Amino acid sequence: MSIPMGQNLRIRAMVYVAAEPVPYFWPMRSFIHHNPLHGLEQLPFQEAVEKGAKLFHARGFLPRSAYQRYLAEGRVDTTTLQEQVQRFIATREPALPIDVARWLMAELTNRQHSVVEPLSVADSTNVYAKLQGATTSIIEPSPQQLAAELERRLLHERPLYEAFDDLYGTTIGSDLDEQVIRACLDFFDEGQSVWDMPHREQGFFSAWLGVSGNAVRRTLAALMGTQALDAPVEAERVIALVLARLQIPENEWVGYFTRELTRLHGWAGFIRWRSNAMNYYWQQHYPGDLVDYLAVRLLLSLTLLQQQAGNRRPFTLQALREAIVDRPYARFLQLELEREGALLAMARDIEQTLQRGKASDVERLYFAYHARKGHREAQRQADALLALADQVGERAALLALSPSELAQLLTLLQDFEREEGLVWLKAMEARATAQLCDGLRLSAPPPRDKRPFAEVLFCIDTRSERIRRHLESVGDYHTYGIAGFFGVPVSFMELGKGSENHLCPVLLTPKNLVIEMSSIGVQDTAAVTALEKAMHELKESVLTPFVTVEAIGLLFGLDMVGKTLLPTTYNRWRSHLHEHKPLTHLVLDKLDREQADSIVRAVQRAVIVKAVEQEFAVEPEVITDSMIKELREAALGQRSDCPACSTLKQIDGARLEKFILRLRNAYRINPAFAQLQMERLGRIGFSLDEQTRFVAVALRSIGLTNDFSRFILLVGHGSTSENNPYESALDCGACGGAHGLVSARVLAQMANKPEVRRRLREGGIDIPDDAWFVPALHNTTTDEITLHDLELLPPSHLVYLDRLRDGLNSASRLCAQERLPSLLEDTRDLKPAAAFRAAQRNAMDWSQVRPEWGLSRNAYFVIGRRTLTQSKVLDGRAFLHSYDYRVDPKRRLLENILTGPLVVGQWINMEHYFSTVDNEKFGSGSKVYHNVAGRFGVLSGNLSDLRTGLPAQTVLDDGHPYHQPMRLITVIEAPLAHARKAIESVVAIKRLVRNGWIRLLVVDPETAMICQYDDGEWTQREFVEAEQAQDPIYTEARSA
Amino acid sequence: MSLIAYLLVAVFLPLFPLSMVFNRVFAQVHNTWLRIALLVGWPLTGVALLAVLGDSPPQWLVYWGVATALLYGFRALALRDLALWLAHLATSVWALMWLPAALGQTAGTLPAALLAFAVPLALLAWLTGHLEKLFGAAYAGALGGLATDLPRLSWLLVLVVLAVIGTPLFPGFFALLGMVKELLPAMPVTAVGVLLVWMLWAWAGMRMLQGLIVGDPGGRANADIGLAHTGILGMLLAMFAAAGIWLTGSLV
Repeated sequence: MSIPMGQNLRIRAMVYVAAEPVPYFWPMRSFIHHNPLHGLEQLPFQEAVEKGAKLFHARGFLPRSAYQRYLAEGRVDTTTLQEQVQRFIATREPALPIDVARWLMAELTNRQHSVVEPLSVADSTNVYAKLQGATTSIIEPSPQQLAAELERRLLHERPLYEAFDDLYGTTIGSDLDEQVIRACLDFFDEGQSVWDMPHREQGFFSAWLGVSGNAVRRTLAALMGTQALDAPVEAERVIALVLARLQIPENEWVGYFTRELTRLHGWAGFIRWRSNAMNYYWQQHYPGDLVDYLAVRLLLSLTLLQQQAGNRRPFTLQALREAIVDRPYARFLQLELEREGALLAMARDIEQTLQRGKASDVERLYFAYHARKGHREAQRQADALLALADQVGERAALLALSPSELAQLLTLLQDFEREEGLVWLKAMEARATAQLCDGLRLSAPPPRDKRPFAEVLFCIDTRSERIRRHLESVGDYHTYGIAGFFGVPVSFMELGKGSENHLCPVLLTPKNLVIEMSSIGVQDTAAVTALEKAMHELKESVLTPFVTVEAIGLLFGLDMVGKTLLPTTYNRWRSHLHEHKPLTHLVLDKLDREQADSIVRAVQRAVIVKAVEQEFAVEPEVITDSMIKELREAALGQRSDCPACSTLKQIDGARLEKFILRLRNAYRINPAFAQLQMERLGRIGFSLDEQTRFVAVALRSIGLTNDFSRFILLVGHGSTSENNPYESALDCGACGGAHGLVSARVLAQMANKPEVRRRLREGGIDIPDDAWFVPALHNTTTDEITLHDLELLPPSHLVYLDRLRDGLNSASRLCAQERLPSLLEDTRDLKPAAAFRAAQRNAMDWSQVRPEWGLSRNAYFVIGRRTLTQSKVLDGRAFLHSYDYRVDPKRRLLENILTGPLVVGQWINMEHYFSTVDNEKFGSGSKVYHNVAGRFGVLSGNLSDLRTGLPAQTVLDDGHPYHQPMRLITVIEAPLAHARKAIESVVAIKRLVRNGWIRLLVVDPETAMICQYDDGEWTQREFVEAEQAQDPIYTEARSA
Repeated sequence: MSLIAYLLVAVFLPLFPLSMVFNRVFAQVHNTWLRIALLVGWPLTGVALLAVLGDSPPQWLVYWGVATALLYGFRALALRDLALWLAHLATSVWALMWLPAALGQTAGTLPAALLAFAVPLALLAWLTGHLEKLFGAAYAGALGGLATDLPRLSWLLVLVVLAVIGTPLFPGFFALLGMVKELLPAMPVTAVGVLLVWMLWAWAGMRMLQGLIVGDPGGRANADIGLAHTGILGMLLAMFAAAGIWLTGSLV
């Protein structure tokens, strides 16, 4: 039951191409910020937004009223707005006797809604007549013209069932989506469901087919003809058969697939990501890809179409086309009634006339309807134009326009409305750019006679900007910005976990594995933890919940009261009941062959001891070392006898032989597995060279190569919140959506190693012996900074620890005080300590839908020395990456920053942008309705597409944008030629800059010029120092 | 003679196909107050005629009534024009009034049960008229998203439709419950039929609300009814519910 390999491959290739615009969706456990239009980044921004809007039925810019609100708040540069209007006019060169610029500006700033009304029936001559108060007749299209227009509207670039729904008022599209979502929930579940879908290991399509209903099976049987259904059915074949049945021409298949995939782009994105994640446990065990997904969709859609169509209605492409050509008037009226919002006053007539079906009545009604609709459209358009003309004081000029001039005006306005989003965006970005540039500083700080008390490396995350500023204000601290994984891609295996977690941007794949180990042996599970597990299992069973609620439901009530009324106290008390994580060490050093061999032997010994205990029910004390050695060697085929085992009466000759065989097969004590273990052990740790290189690159990339302080803090960041599926969205994006502490510990451990320092010294980075790298964690929800691995701190540093802690605590409190008013009401007057407590309560409140604003309002990415922005209050809106071009003559470090951190920043920025401009389509809607699905995603309600973007509570405040959606304004402090060469050599960034996905500025410290890239060209202006900008004489001169 | 008399009553407590008279008349009337008068006066005329006749109607008329109620309840499921839906639901309700009449409740209980539905139907007629005045028609699907655009009117519309379909607290609920309770020992199959009709009303009501209240807003925020109207109608509904609990509650 297969089709030729060539066709299979062709369909797979088509699906691959069709899926390119669909963005990946990573499991929520490690939320990855990404650009929803990543697949369209090869296009210019405006073009990609238009295409994305069409594909995802979404909006690419804010509604005009939102931009007008920004204008009123002074966040839009009016000069740029006017310039953009002029530029638009220049490209059109309209020959109109009106002040076009004023008209367009009036439309932008005074009119809340679009001036141009959609003219589907009327045309500009009708509008002209209405303006003149003359009678006019609406031109009737011929039946052929009408049929052609209907074909274009109904059958062009959309699934057939959408056309069917439009014509017959059915709901196949939404029914199909529901059934597909159910199938996906069943198959892709990762342990949330108590009962699994059977035969998932066979793949998505096969498993789904196994549980599908009779209707689907009948459809499939009819498609397959005489061929039996008991053999496996290939998904590709089903796709080909369904499309052939629907009579879709093969050259339209790719487009058809894309439209099918974008209907539920969350699920499609997840499946797309999953099928490419070769090491993903669930994909390895339960494979599923977009070919399966499309086969499910298409087969279901054909089944539903056949059910709804019966013998009365057409459902294939050709049949629908004929139905339109046969009765265009009836189809037009049907379409108007079902989808286009028919004139309400005639809706009942249309419905009843169509039900009667008499051709002459339908025709008569069509003409009446058409004329009435045309007059209404023309009148509305005329009224809207008159209103706009009155606002610019040019009513007489409007009335004096000739019909052709009026048509030209309408076209001009229509084109302008299509482009106005970008006009607003550029004007808003111009204002934000000016705000950033005012107050930048290029002058070097005065030389110091002693090193700073501490140097603190924070993540480039926008939330670090606030705490860096406050830390610098409370003491002698120098702060730096570096990507939160500190440049070390790590695959991390946490203590007690069996899986690896990649701690680096998703663009990278770590080669080295770091294992967390503890010297404390296996501990008993804390009583409360065990109780919680038992409760969870009771809840998941079929019958036990009824009894559980009756018996111990009250306990849940107490828990709820505690969490709700006293979140801080109750959660602290509760945390004491749980077992705490012991002190751990990270295994960082590469193992040599002997060490690896020794570990493999130790593991084999431990396994053999357990095996003997279990298989022969003997106590461990009777198992001797020689016995284990002999058994191990026998299992590995190095010997055939085992004399030491003869002391055990349970092991006779035959049983011994059987046991050795079992050791080889069941317990995997065999040469092949030992070799595999050796290879796996080879991934653990970093060689000394690697460690030295990572430390050197990290320090050089931020310009920290001398004057090392006593303390060098490596501050990773993470968040804490309750009842929040989006928790990992608040964690470190550079660490793959995880906390940044492990990365900080890894680099600190490397940098504190004497041998690494010796090599660094040879390479020109002299870290004094009393300098100590201390890992720390910045909790962005509470602003608390906690120091880690203090047990490794040299005793000489302990006396300074209190001062360090005081400084960090002060910065945390001040930061909480600054941040809280935007988060909670009535907190503007709180003292720092009270604000800090309020932030902690907020983090523990399980009813809090907005524990923090996260990266919302991000706008800038600054690559340069701290002095550049140190005197500015950036309100947590800037990614700050430290960079000193003077230590990077070959631009390698800058290229690294552009390749990794800037791309991640751009993804974060675009995620926020699109989640704000259309939260329902690109974002994930309100958290209030969210439910966790399958342990990897979130649905709205109980059945919806996977919600992929950010929730409303992250980007909107009271229904209005809190995040100001702009493209990332990137500033590089370096000579222009230096920066340009670096950009040119990083293809991804070059494309993003040229296509307008990133706004780029270069602040050239050598020429004191600001160079901006816009619309394919560089413009330059003079740089103004912070002090100079505030000087009244200069301000006056500048404004003059 | 008595058969002709009952057939005459069947025009006013409509039984199919005589019910078409009421529906045809109602469809032609566009004046809100005339519609309200029809909704209240038409069935009361039927009840008055029944009282004049004196005797309880024969059982076959009861079955006919339930069948008519089922037919119109089912038909209401597919209707999208609120005015037509209203007329169909009224027909379905009036057809059920043959049951209390057959149980000999023509004196006090029948008019009370009838008013339990007539009042919310009249209020719904007023709201329908208001929507028609604003938009030309109240047509589910084509006129969606009222909850966002006209929140006050939407609240009232939801409450009135709930009252019309006999949800708890509104008198219609108690009236129907009483009817089922009376029927169950004597005519259990008919009682099940009444429950089926009740279910159809609820289904049809939800479909209608879904088509009007839910959906994308159409930017008609200035068209909502005033606070005074909302207050008066809300008060009327509250009084109606309270009176229902007080008066028809005794039916249970």
